Amino acid sequence: MSALSIVAAVLQVVVVLVGAPFVVGGMRQVRARLEGRAGGGVGQPWRDLRKQLRKQQVTPRGTTLVFAVAPAIAAGTTLLIAAILPIFALGSPLDSVADLFGVVGLLFLGTVALTLAGLDTGTAFGGMGSSREITIAALVEPTILLAVFALSIPGQSANLSAIVSATLDNPGQVFSLGSVLAFVALVIVIIAETGRLPVDNPSTHLELTMIHEAMVLEYAGPKLALVEWASGMRLTVLLALLANLFLPWGIAGADPSLLAVLIGVVAIAVKVSVLAGLLAAGEVFIAKLRYFRVPELLSGSFLLALLAVTASYFLATPTR
Amino acid sequence: MSLATYTGVLDLTAGAFLLAAVLIVWRRELRSIVHLLAWQGVALAAIPLTEGLYEGNPGPVIVGLVVLVLRAGVLPVLLLRAVGTADAERRESTPLVNTTSSLLITAALTMLAYAVTRPIIALDQAAATRAVPAAFAVILIALFVMVSRRRALSQAVGFLMLDNGITATAFLITGGVPLIVELGASMDVLFAVFVLGLLTGHMRRAFGGTDLDQLRELRD
Amino acid sequence: MSYLLLVPILAPLVAAGLAALLGWRRLTAYVTLAAAFAVLLSGAILVHRVESGAVFAVGHLLRADSLTVTMLLVMGTVGTLATWASVGYIDAELRDGHTDRAGAHLYAVLLPLFLAAMALAVVANNIGVMWVAIEATTVATAFLVGHRRTRAAFEAAWKYVVICSVGIALALLGTVLLYFVSLHAGASSAHALDIDTLLNNAAQLDPDVTRLAAGLLLLGYGAKAGLVPFHTWLADAHSQAPAPVSALMSGVLLSVAFASLLRVKSVVDLTLGTGFLRAGLLVVGLLTVLIAASLLVVQTDFKRMLAYSSMENMGLVAIAAAAGTKLAIAALLLHVLAHGIGKSLVFLAAGQLQAAHDSTAISAVTGVLTRSRLVGVAFAVGLAVLIGLPPFAMFASELSIARALAGANLGWVLGATLLLLTIAFASLVRNGSRMLLGPPQPDAPTIALPGTVAAAMVTGIILSLALGLSAGPLTALFQSAATQLGASS
Repeated sequence: MSALSIVAAVLQVVVVLVGAPFVVGGMRQVRARLEGRAGGGVGQPWRDLRKQLRKQQVTPRGTTLVFAVAPAIAAGTTLLIAAILPIFALGSPLDSVADLFGVVGLLFLGTVALTLAGLDTGTAFGGMGSSREITIAALVEPTILLAVFALSIPGQSANLSAIVSATLDNPGQVFSLGSVLAFVALVIVIIAETGRLPVDNPSTHLELTMIHEAMVLEYAGPKLALVEWASGMRLTVLLALLANLFLPWGIAGADPSLLAVLIGVVAIAVKVSVLAGLLAAGEVFIAKLRYFRVPELLSGSFLLALLAVTASYFLATPTR
Repeated sequence: MSLATYTGVLDLTAGAFLLAAVLIVWRRELRSIVHLLAWQGVALAAIPLTEGLYEGNPGPVIVGLVVLVLRAGVLPVLLLRAVGTADAERRESTPLVNTTSSLLITAALTMLAYAVTRPIIALDQAAATRAVPAAFAVILIALFVMVSRRRALSQAVGFLMLDNGITATAFLITGGVPLIVELGASMDVLFAVFVLGLLTGHMRRAFGGTDLDQLRELRD
Repeated sequence: MSYLLLVPILAPLVAAGLAALLGWRRLTAYVTLAAAFAVLLSGAILVHRVESGAVFAVGHLLRADSLTVTMLLVMGTVGTLATWASVGYIDAELRDGHTDRAGAHLYAVLLPLFLAAMALAVVANNIGVMWVAIEATTVATAFLVGHRRTRAAFEAAWKYVVICSVGIALALLGTVLLYFVSLHAGASSAHALDIDTLLNNAAQLDPDVTRLAAGLLLLGYGAKAGLVPFHTWLADAHSQAPAPVSALMSGVLLSVAFASLLRVKSVVDLTLGTGFLRAGLLVVGLLTVLIAASLLVVQTDFKRMLAYSSMENMGLVAIAAAAGTKLAIAALLLHVLAHGIGKSLVFLAAGQLQAAHDSTAISAVTGVLTRSRLVGVAFAVGLAVLIGLPPFAMFASELSIARALAGANLGWVLGATLLLLTIAFASLVRNGSRMLLGPPQPDAPTIALPGTVAAAMVTGIILSLALGLSAGPLTALFQSAATQLGASS
């Protein structure tokens, strides 16, 4: 393991930390322009964060430690994922734990921390938001597992770096049936996991429709800043994962040069921007699904992921 | 066409064939169900076309073209004409099983199809035979659609999907049954759909709708 | 001479063509009757030619053995009775306004087409062609079931087409799988589905896939034979179809479908041994008899009652086939023939009762014997045949089936079957006596009886008695069919 891989891993965390608010801001800006508004600019989320961080810390009466540490857990798990995912370069120092089950477990840990915090406030909205969030999470996690499992079959390893490098070695398999189905399933669950349209509307505070926002309604000041930062990083990390699973080109190898790492940074920045832009542009054209229709969408994506597994497992070319 | 391309195209076709069935379970608008059925017909026709091109054999290519015209053209058009007349009936109102459960059942049926077809794959390891679970899954899904849908048209779609699945099985494992059987079977299906279409028309005139829940006069 | 095999297919086709041109007329009706009689005659001529083995015609496309001839005889006999009665029946329907010229025209075309499809199903050598023919019977009879164009008739026709098509589609899947294993056993693709090829190669077929195919074929042809689990169309279709069509469906169609199953069984047993299909047939047979007997108990509609009696008899036939000995198969064939004639009698009588009362409720009909001697006697004789009273032939066949079951170490099946048959017996006797005996209601309508229907009834009564007193040369035919199907002695 070279020093540069360690540099690359540290760089991943830093870039995700700094870049996540810009991704959120960029998506808002794309939406605003497409809807004919001027928009607040790409840097607006950063300005919001700065404002929130300067505010006084207010904690609702009766809340416990759970409420206090949840934002930190959410942000911490996401940062850990950012450190172990192959985003800029393969073969990070934490490569041995860059396992698909580990990543899904970390994602779920963050979700559970926030739902518990929602319950901890004891308000109606917090409980409602938590209940909805956990319902969606229960359908989302198995789908992510299945979809990445389908992708792991050609590389014959659940290690994310191994999957990415298998795709690099054999680009044709991106267009195989299992891969296409897994892609569709992953897009749907990433939308659900990050609370975007049509599953949840990130910019609404309407009682009946909000899911994620209801859960974190009681947060204010620096803690709110942390929660929003964490959700932005989550979105960024998942988009980066999606990009590298299906379009890994540009990522630096296991023993990279400085130039390769820089190329990797630029490549992933471009890929994530394009994906985020497409996602935002798509959101302009769709309405939020009624909550009881959401399980339909998610069970559909679960089925697609299952078909992806069966397709890559059973239809695989016989070895003879 | 190389073996790898052939296998890849065949797998993609079989997958698209299965995917169309899954989407038919997912969707409730009758019109889009019929459109999906037409796409499934295209995927079905692609199987013998691919086999024919790979083996350089004109027979399957001709069969594929006939299947394309029949399954992707004639039959869906017949069905669409049945839908077109009544605006009120464009949706599968309240299926017996809700969409979420339907999709999960579909997932289970797909797994079952893989289990059932193991002896077939054990007998013949060819690339085409390995895709036969997809065809079996479509057969099982079609049976499920037939028991869970209440519109006459949805049932007709289920029947055609069942037949698509059987035809696909025949193409995949044997390269098609003998011509006389193939022709006879196609004629029978065509007539059966024709009869169903006529009966739908008669029923609409008799009951003012084609909701099969209204078929309750005869029972014990 | 082997072109004789074409007669049962071509004669009805000619009649259908003529009817298509001329519509419903006396001439076309009698030509159809002649065609049905031609089926009977060709069967009778073939009896001795098939004793020594199968006869082929038109290359290897058609094939006749003793089972074929038996089915041709059943088809010819019931077909003759039904087409004869059709003449008067449809005229009366036209007079009463239950149908119009277009409806009668359709009837005139479809009835012989139905016969031709059934004939093709029994003489086909290729089980793929056999499948096509069986599915064709569904298409041909759909509008015969919906003949009256009432709400209930369309409902019955819809259920009939959907359920039978789905069932028979499973049989197609089974056929495809058989083709697959047959090709793998080294058959050429043109002859892989021929019955003689399959019989010759049976030992080389892959057992696992054959098991799958056999299960699908049992379900598929079982649907058409009125066996569980696709039996639900039967009562609806039989109760809504015109009486002659009900007679043909109940007396012939069910047994033709079952004959297809026997063909398949003769191949599959060679590959898998008798155990697999025996278990399957026993399950579906016992369940069918169970469902039929329990629904007979609560039945309030006489046409549906007759339909469930058909189901009960098909269940019994399936159980006999499960026993599989030579005695059982021969008894099964006699049972099918006797049941066909008996069912024609009761359905023809029921048709006249329905026409008179404009209802099929058992409670609406009383005192038939005093109101119309011939209809009453026909109904009584038919019922006596169906419940297996001596001297009628089903007494002998049921006794033989019972003996065969005991001989095949299936004593528990025998016990269960006897119990269920007793329940069915009691229900049929109770409902039958309520309709036949007793004083007629004062305002009871007169039962009209057209001459042709009367003639068909008298013929049917004479045939039932004759068959009961002596099966004659038919015994040898049934024995030879059982031997050719590979039944153990």
